[in-house]
Amino acid sequence: MDFDAIVVGSGISGGWVAKELCERGLKTLVIERGHHVNHRTDYMDFSAPWDVPHRGMVPEAEEAEHYAVQSTCHAFNSATKQWWVRDSEHPYSTPADRPYRWIRGYHLGGRSITWGRQTYRMSDYDFGANLKDGNGIDWPIRYADLSPWYDRVERFAGISGANEGLEQLPDGQFLPPMALNCVENEFKKRIEEEFPTRRITVGRCAHLTEPTAEHIALGRGPCQLRSTCERGCGYGAYFSSLSATLPAAEKTGNLTVITDAIVERLDYDHAKRRVSGVRVIDTNTRQGRSYQARVVFVCASTIGTAQILLASQSEYFPTGLANSSDTVGRYLMDHLVGIGAGGTHPGFQDRYYYGRRPTGFYLPRYINLTESADVDFLRGYGFQGYSGRSSWERGGYQAGVGADLKQRLRYPGPWGMQLIGFGEMLPRADNRVTLHSSRKDRWGLPLVHIDCTHGENERRLAERANRDAVQMLVAAGFENVMPAAEVKPPGHSVHEMGTARMGRDPSTSVLNARNQAHDVQNLFITDGSCMSSCGTVNPSLTYMALSARAANYAADRLASGEM
Amino acid sequence: MSDSSSQKLNRRALLLGAVLLVGGAAALTRFVRKPGAGSAAGPGLTGAQFALLEQVCEVIIPTTDTAGAIVAGVPVFIRQMIEEWSSAESRAELIGVLETAEKQAWSRFGAAFIELAPERRFDVINDLDAQRLASQDPAYRKFKHLVLLGYYQSEVGATHELRFELVPGAWRSCVPLSEIGRASAV
Repeated sequence: MDFDAIVVGSGISGGWVAKELCERGLKTLVIERGHHVNHRTDYMDFSAPWDVPHRGMVPEAEEAEHYAVQSTCHAFNSATKQWWVRDSEHPYSTPADRPYRWIRGYHLGGRSITWGRQTYRMSDYDFGANLKDGNGIDWPIRYADLSPWYDRVERFAGISGANEGLEQLPDGQFLPPMALNCVENEFKKRIEEEFPTRRITVGRCAHLTEPTAEHIALGRGPCQLRSTCERGCGYGAYFSSLSATLPAAEKTGNLTVITDAIVERLDYDHAKRRVSGVRVIDTNTRQGRSYQARVVFVCASTIGTAQILLASQSEYFPTGLANSSDTVGRYLMDHLVGIGAGGTHPGFQDRYYYGRRPTGFYLPRYINLTESADVDFLRGYGFQGYSGRSSWERGGYQAGVGADLKQRLRYPGPWGMQLIGFGEMLPRADNRVTLHSSRKDRWGLPLVHIDCTHGENERRLAERANRDAVQMLVAAGFENVMPAAEVKPPGHSVHEMGTARMGRDPSTSVLNARNQAHDVQNLFITDGSCMSSCGTVNPSLTYMALSARAANYAADRLASGEM
Repeated sequence: MSDSSSQKLNRRALLLGAVLLVGGAAALTRFVRKPGAGSAAGPGLTGAQFALLEQVCEVIIPTTDTAGAIVAGVPVFIRQMIEEWSSAESRAELIGVLETAEKQAWSRFGAAFIELAPERRFDVINDLDAQRLASQDPAYRKFKHLVLLGYYQSEVGATHELRFELVPGAWRSCVPLSEIGRASAV
């Protein structure tokens, strides 16, 4: 054997698996399809606005030709361009009338560099949702199974936030919270008076407000309130694979990382029911290689993982590895976004703030939990939000030029607020990733084909979320209140999940309660593809907890000789 | 293939080799023009167009107790955006705004824009601004946004006219505006 363990992918999930396995003494190989990234020195976080190419704007023709999908992500700009694939070089297909936004980057650390850093625990309302209403299959775990692992990953990652004692948003091991600003505090007060079961808390986020000795030992420092996070953070103040998990894995001496290696397929030994090899294509030499290990974790991201399994066909798995249930690639979900509302507040003209807080506030789900009257859909939504004062940009659409304009823009404009809804999407078998029947990529691998739509439940949910958001802003004294313009195509929230779901029954799911493939005993999957439902909270913290838990389970099994 | 184009290709191959040795993708983007960017780059402004652009920008953001658009490098920035950032359509829109200003200078005052007295330049741009924003003209909005972006995200605009700290180092969530003074540039 070359290694004890192979981890495919170096993003949030792969980084966690690598750290845990290395710390358990296992010689671990991480395989990353993209290029190497040096933490700190490859970031543009110390560039002032006037030093950023084209002040952040990517040339229009370049954007249209190469980044048609990626540029729809809010974090795409000329200072982050290196973190996104070129759509022109990494195509995928969808039906012509059913767009899906597959937003991604191929480099060491994956999307842990550009993620939104919002970190919330799922609750038993989420883990029990499928069983309760019969959509999807029952999760094979409950909150109690994951709670100690949430504790563990929160302490290591460093999560800032406030405990609230809410059943639908479990408390955690938090660093000190950041503070709400004046208008957000006023909004909180008004909403909690008007709607007694709705609660507003400052956004829980993977930022070090007060680093612990463990964080400092990894070279991480406190958040400097710059809000240039998506460029990468030289202070290591937010959690990423590059700031946290991979350095911790490296320290053990057990880690090997290779980049520029695309996993082409997993070989399967039917006699032993094991993955026998991981075949890669070296993107520099185009040569094929194969690696062997006792256990293999696939953390290639929801769609990438499905692609690898589907491409790993064999005599025993003609439709793809670990796919005896025919569920690999199915039940693709993404949080419903493009819902919510915005408005302006007439007050607080003499108040302002200092610094650029990298989080907002969170209004966790209440619909169909504490408020269910007149609700014509299943599941629910939560709102992220923030308030701030407008600056010079408003001069671009308000009439006025010259000295008066300059004088006016010298001071901040009115306070605005955005409520940004995140809605739960039901798991449906037809929302599906397959391999294209004829088109291939530059490496000769079949293109991914994504067919995913929102259904009637999502449409009703979106309508109600908009109505609620407008109602709350009006109730709190906001003016010029407008609902969100349009629901975005699936994929837009970059929370894709569900293509290799966990379940109790091998005939209807890919993974068991420990993220181990029912069909293949040394194969584990801990990225978003394992999710049996998508809940309403940002999912990355759950991937971290599941990854740490599965890695330690695998290490236990290897140590006891049971695998 | 002509000799000159094959020489270019060889140079490009050599350059790529050197870049791979020293620094990978980040270095690459500094030296090698991307195909998309190449097709986007249009011809620059004529000298007369640039002179007009300078004066139009200076009317929108004049020199007062702080620097105006010209000192802040706004016209140079917009010229760069026209050359390197704009699609053919945007380039035509942006130059179209300048041409409109010039036409209105002639039709109202019978002279080129840059020959007009400052108050007449102001009248031309102020009226154009009011009309084009009232009709939500996308070309003018794009132009005005670039002027403001060029000014308020320049070093002088961000740090002298407004406030900007590269590393704030702290979050103060609710403070009197009088303590902060001016709007934050970012």
